[in-house]
Amino acid sequence: MARIDLKDILQHTVSSVYGDLVTRPTGQAVRTSIEALLPDADEDLAIIDFSTVRLMDFSCADEIVGKLLLQYGRARYFLLVGVHPGHEDAIEPVLERHRLAVVAQDRSGSLKLLGAMPEHARQAFTVLANSGPAVLADVAAKLALSPDTAREALEVLRERHVVRESGGHYQAVRTA
Amino acid sequence: MTRVVEVPVQFDDRAFDQFARGYSAGDGARVLFDAHAAQWASPYGLVGLLTAGQALVEQGAERPLLTLPQDRDVVHYWARTGFVRHADAYFELHGKAPKLTPRGESDVLLELTPVRGADDVHEVVNHIQERAAAILTHELKLEAAATMGFGMALSEACQNIVEHAGTGGWVAVQTYTWRKRLGRRVVVIAISDAGVGFRRSLEATQAKRFGDRWGDAAALEAALIQGVSRFRDPGRGQGLAGIRRYLNRWQGKLSVRSGAARMTMIPPWDDDVPLADQLPFFPGTQVLMIVPAHSE
Repeated sequence: MARIDLKDILQHTVSSVYGDLVTRPTGQAVRTSIEALLPDADEDLAIIDFSTVRLMDFSCADEIVGKLLLQYGRARYFLLVGVHPGHEDAIEPVLERHRLAVVAQDRSGSLKLLGAMPEHARQAFTVLANSGPAVLADVAAKLALSPDTAREALEVLRERHVVRESGGHYQAVRTA
Repeated sequence: MTRVVEVPVQFDDRAFDQFARGYSAGDGARVLFDAHAAQWASPYGLVGLLTAGQALVEQGAERPLLTLPQDRDVVHYWARTGFVRHADAYFELHGKAPKLTPRGESDVLLELTPVRGADDVHEVVNHIQERAAAILTHELKLEAAATMGFGMALSEACQNIVEHAGTGGWVAVQTYTWRKRLGRRVVVIAISDAGVGFRRSLEATQAKRFGDRWGDAAALEAALIQGVSRFRDPGRGQGLAGIRRYLNRWQGKLSVRSGAARMTMIPPWDDDVPLADQLPFFPGTQVLMIVPAHSE
């Protein structure tokens, strides 16, 4: 598991003066640094920490979150932590535009799915986020879905790497 | 020969077309911008006036003349916004120009600031964020979320200069009370550049698609409504859409003038027109963003 602090990266790669993630060149520089810190194994989780980032604009959200997920999101697991509503305002449109999704975790540990996701898949994620790991039948029962519909929803989540599956158990991406 | 372009007495966005008409009627003669009778200028007017001077200088025209306002208070205000200091680079100034240092506590949130590169955008956002937060939440009574979006909108609008104009531009931010026009306090962001404008920026990729309709208005439509960018990168073109969303959320106004057209996202409190075409030409792009106080 790799924990990547965006403020640290910003200060090391761009400027020690500015604390905001703004402008596309800044986003490109930060993303390049993140790529160098990604875990070697695809299955390892990369946690990107926004806690100390005051402001992020759309250009940086596109470069840092959008392009990172476009490049690696189908093969790797990402978790955004310390994301506040202002960050979400920048990240959500980017994810929608690219038809991407990612998991955000707040300080209390609550999980939130950001971005584009079919409704059943979003509901299934909420079940996993609130109740912990579950098998297909549990998710189907909680959402009153047919097994086929629930399976489809969980597969979408698994393919987007916002949920892990192991031995028939599905689990939302989270720190622990 | 000298050609006189009158600076409107009340020089704001509503008087801008009058100013542009005078500017665009050029015949190669040296230009005298006459502001001696000016009583008031909004940030939009002042960045526009700087742009006019910059455009002439960058076109290789003889350095234009500018007569400063006669009214002592008015010219002091122009100096306090940083206008006089920057104008010295583009105009031969006539009139008494007071030497003032920024006071820091005024309603000028961001004095006239040049935007030429990404570092300037960082500087602008960094400078304004804390004061903007205080004003948006305490004076305009907006939720804290408005502050973050304000910085994003400002950043994206400034980046448009850096990425598309092909030359430098200007930004100014101010808060004041619109007694007659709205009856509320507002924060106004004005951004202007003397660059290529939307039509030329998008021409290579969009003109064919629009066919006979192609022009300044169609270019604004492509950029503001359709989120089109001159870059092939599908992630581009989100900045203006984001600005629209932000201003829509807080009942703000967005107006973008480029070349001979202006497109406006009109809030309920305003009576502007959504699209004005065939306007007097003015170089580059001018962006106006207005965030009003929360209405009780």
